Amino acid sequence: MLAAIDLHGFLFVLFALTACVFAAGVLFSSNIVRMAFNLVLSLGSSAGLFFLAGAEFVGAMQLMIYVGGTLVLLVFGVMLTAQHRFLEMRTNAGEWVLSLLVGGALLMVLLQAAFSVSQWNTPYAQRDQVEIDESKSATPIAAALTGVRVDKLEETNPRLRAGKSGYLMPFVIVSMHLLVVLVGAAYLARPRMAVRQMRRGG
Amino acid sequence: MATANREQIIELDVRTDELLVNMGPQHPSTHGVLRLVLKTDGEIVTHVEPHIGYLHRCAEKIGENLTPRQWIPYTDRMDYLAAMNMNLGWSLCVEKLLGYELPEKARHIRVIIAELGRIASHLVGMGTYGLDLGTFSPFLYAFREREKILDLFEEVCGARLTNSYITPGGVTGDLPAGWLEKCEAFLDQFVPVITEYHTLLTTNAIFIQRTAGIGVISREMAIDYGCTGPVLRGSGVDHDLRRDGEERYTEMYDGYAFEVIVEKDGHYPRDHDYPPVPPEAVLGDCWHRFYVRMLEVMQAIDIVREGIEFYRASSGDWGHPIKLNTKLPKGEVYLETECPRGQMGFYLVSDGSAIPWRVRARSSCFCNLSVTEELCRGCLLADVAAIVGSLDIVMGEIDR
Amino acid sequence: MAEFFAQYMPAWGAYLLTALISVALLLAVVGLGALFFIWAERKVAGRIQDRLGPTRTGGKFGWLQSLADGIKLITKEDLAPADADRLLFRLAPYVSLAPSYAALLALPFADGWVGWEINTSVFFLLAILGLEVFGVILAGYASGSKWSLFGGMRQAAQVVSYEVPLGMCGVIPVFLCGTMSLTTIGNMQAGWATNWLIFHDPFTFMVFWVYFTCAVASVNRAPFDLAEAESELVAGFHTEYSGLRWSFFFMAEYNSMFVVSGLAAVLFFGGWNGPVPIFASWKAAGGGWEIVADLAGCLNFIGKAVLGVMVMIWVRWTLPRLRIDQVITTCLKYCVPLAAFCFVGALAWQLASLPSPNDWLSPDPAGRAAVREPWVERAEDGAERSGTSGAEELARLAEDKR
Repeated sequence: MLAAIDLHGFLFVLFALTACVFAAGVLFSSNIVRMAFNLVLSLGSSAGLFFLAGAEFVGAMQLMIYVGGTLVLLVFGVMLTAQHRFLEMRTNAGEWVLSLLVGGALLMVLLQAAFSVSQWNTPYAQRDQVEIDESKSATPIAAALTGVRVDKLEETNPRLRAGKSGYLMPFVIVSMHLLVVLVGAAYLARPRMAVRQMRRGG
Repeated sequence: MATANREQIIELDVRTDELLVNMGPQHPSTHGVLRLVLKTDGEIVTHVEPHIGYLHRCAEKIGENLTPRQWIPYTDRMDYLAAMNMNLGWSLCVEKLLGYELPEKARHIRVIIAELGRIASHLVGMGTYGLDLGTFSPFLYAFREREKILDLFEEVCGARLTNSYITPGGVTGDLPAGWLEKCEAFLDQFVPVITEYHTLLTTNAIFIQRTAGIGVISREMAIDYGCTGPVLRGSGVDHDLRRDGEERYTEMYDGYAFEVIVEKDGHYPRDHDYPPVPPEAVLGDCWHRFYVRMLEVMQAIDIVREGIEFYRASSGDWGHPIKLNTKLPKGEVYLETECPRGQMGFYLVSDGSAIPWRVRARSSCFCNLSVTEELCRGCLLADVAAIVGSLDIVMGEIDR
Repeated sequence: MAEFFAQYMPAWGAYLLTALISVALLLAVVGLGALFFIWAERKVAGRIQDRLGPTRTGGKFGWLQSLADGIKLITKEDLAPADADRLLFRLAPYVSLAPSYAALLALPFADGWVGWEINTSVFFLLAILGLEVFGVILAGYASGSKWSLFGGMRQAAQVVSYEVPLGMCGVIPVFLCGTMSLTTIGNMQAGWATNWLIFHDPFTFMVFWVYFTCAVASVNRAPFDLAEAESELVAGFHTEYSGLRWSFFFMAEYNSMFVVSGLAAVLFFGGWNGPVPIFASWKAAGGGWEIVADLAGCLNFIGKAVLGVMVMIWVRWTLPRLRIDQVITTCLKYCVPLAAFCFVGALAWQLASLPSPNDWLSPDPAGRAAVREPWVERAEDGAERSGTSGAEELARLAEDKR
């Protein structure tokens, strides 16, 4: 019975779950450093997913650039600029709506992209091709993440082949998202000074 | 229409927060219990305020309730790293009031002991300065040699740190038999060790980077703040009480040949044995203060050697301590001596009884420390440790 | 190893057992390594300073000193300051230790003796070593102490800057060997010491020293130990820590020292290939002899890595600490340009096909070109076995057993 355990599937679910749970943690915590910490774990888990898919380069890249670089800079910026210790961020309803709209739209795009690949709808059909541990051949999605669409290699039309340069786009979207986070953190941590100003009315 | 007071939120550029930090009284590099209140903008220190008084033991008030000889142990505890020099200052002050003439032999003993004390004190200053800059080993090398000096002291008077050896009227006992040979043997093996210190610290590239051009005290500033000792001479002021002091003090050094360690025309009197001043160093910076101390160690070795020769040549009595209850003549007296850390002055007012009516001490470190505020303005956090360390303060002397 | 176990048990068990053995071995490297290095540090520091260091615990040489320290630390009270962010404060030491441990996964100890054979292991190691800083920053921030905050900020600034030259130095051997796999890079330096990449050309010789400087800085050791600068920041980021949590930071630090030294050993000093190829023929003989040769190579590698750590200890007890601006200046003004210059130089040397010492001393026509990456070898093996994949192969072996 234990033999039936699919290690690859198990690890996939594990990493995916941690990524989602800590992503939700980012959403619902109000302390900016805790947010960053949650984001580290979430991004680390998604790096784990890349490793699992055999895309080690992308995984290591994720760790180095986003976790080791961007987030460290984020926390660094917060520590330097914070007016109070343990800065809290409060989001009002309008911001919630706005972020839900943007985030939801992004999610839709990603979901659409994910389900548009026919092979992924039936992952179990290809299970014997998913190789782990000893084999270092990357799965199709990993290859696609680095820019090679193995499912489009047979495409004869060179324009089509050139246009389908893999799934670098979602990766870039994530990076843009992080840039936004960075700017936002700096914006929120910016010192505000209350000054009384004499203003002549009428 | 009326003017309205309206609160407005003005958003500034991203700006780092100013932090108020307590450095001390429990901090590794405040040499005991100095407390510095730092205002920092990131790593840059914008304001420093030294707070003292954590080691105050009412030494001066105690001195007004004890006879001068009884107060000697309390002077030990002022600058506990140069207890012999403290003893000497107070003894000379009392002798000045009494008009006591010191026997020849006692004079040379005092010179030998005082200069050994100077070496020991500068060794600690050097070692702890290394600690302030983050290198641990020179500290232990310095203490290794200092232990040998303390061994010599122990043999002379039975105590290592709080010696109470030099007292009004001379010293508490003659040098023991064979002590001079041991002392000479120590000096012989000590001279090459100093080269080690220069390799590890004085000429070390990182050390020069950390100290050269940092905490520059100009000539005028040093004089204005009343800085003395190596801090003053490190700023290029040619002043040493062993040469320029009062008659009663300078006569102790009669016949001794020594130069004041101060930079003249880009050179120090004794720097020929050592690498020259690095181009980055500015007169009056931490590096110069450190170098002056190191050269004074070399000079003290020569003075001790001379003293040993003089001692051997001299005959007669080594002097005897005055009686505990000796009546002091009415009057007031003040005398400053050149201690390792600067000019230590003792002030004594007597109403004719055996117990002084007033006792005060002028601390060298107190004046030296007062420069900190101006020196540390705008420097980096790490420089605070470097600057305070280069002043070589002892809190026991500042707080008394 | 998994293939070996698969002969006796089902495939999943073989995987699990292999993983467990690797993890246990690596944990032993972290644990025992920290114990040994702390003892060695105290002993070496003692000798450097004319002291004896620990002498009594455990009989001669005080060799049980670290263990005694460990027991003391375990029994100490685990304090968290009232001002601290409790959760992050408690988590920070683990965040620091985990990447340091994970880095060992991809570090080969001998040919094929590696926890996780990935073909971008150089990159992976550099990436995961950069994560260790996050624990330090969290500790600095969550402690609720200003000294800790200073330590955290310094660490962040320092590590982020030094990652750049460190990566550039690491890339040079990668380009010379044409692979990111540490196992392959190590195997390419087989033979005499002249084949080591440090002696490949003057630029690689120079770049090793840049690498070592940056490595010392990135693992936060003196003269770059600004985050815990004792004389300035009391104890920096770990000021408020006590007991076992405090010791986790040290385990992480010593382990990182070992990893960067090990990385240097593989990238520049031939890894498990000794200065003299004593075991080369044994290795070729295969079977039990091969295991003996690998064991010797493993000891060789550990010896080189330990030597690197000893040099770091020696440097720590000799030099004063730099100031924060000087640390950053050293990085940006000296390390980065030097690394870039060496990068260009080494590539030009390769491009111009200039000779390296190895070409005159022990000309080996087969040379580096003959060494292939493990996955290529496996793919070739697999192709020979009628195109079946590794997993199927294992399953087949297990089936046979049953």
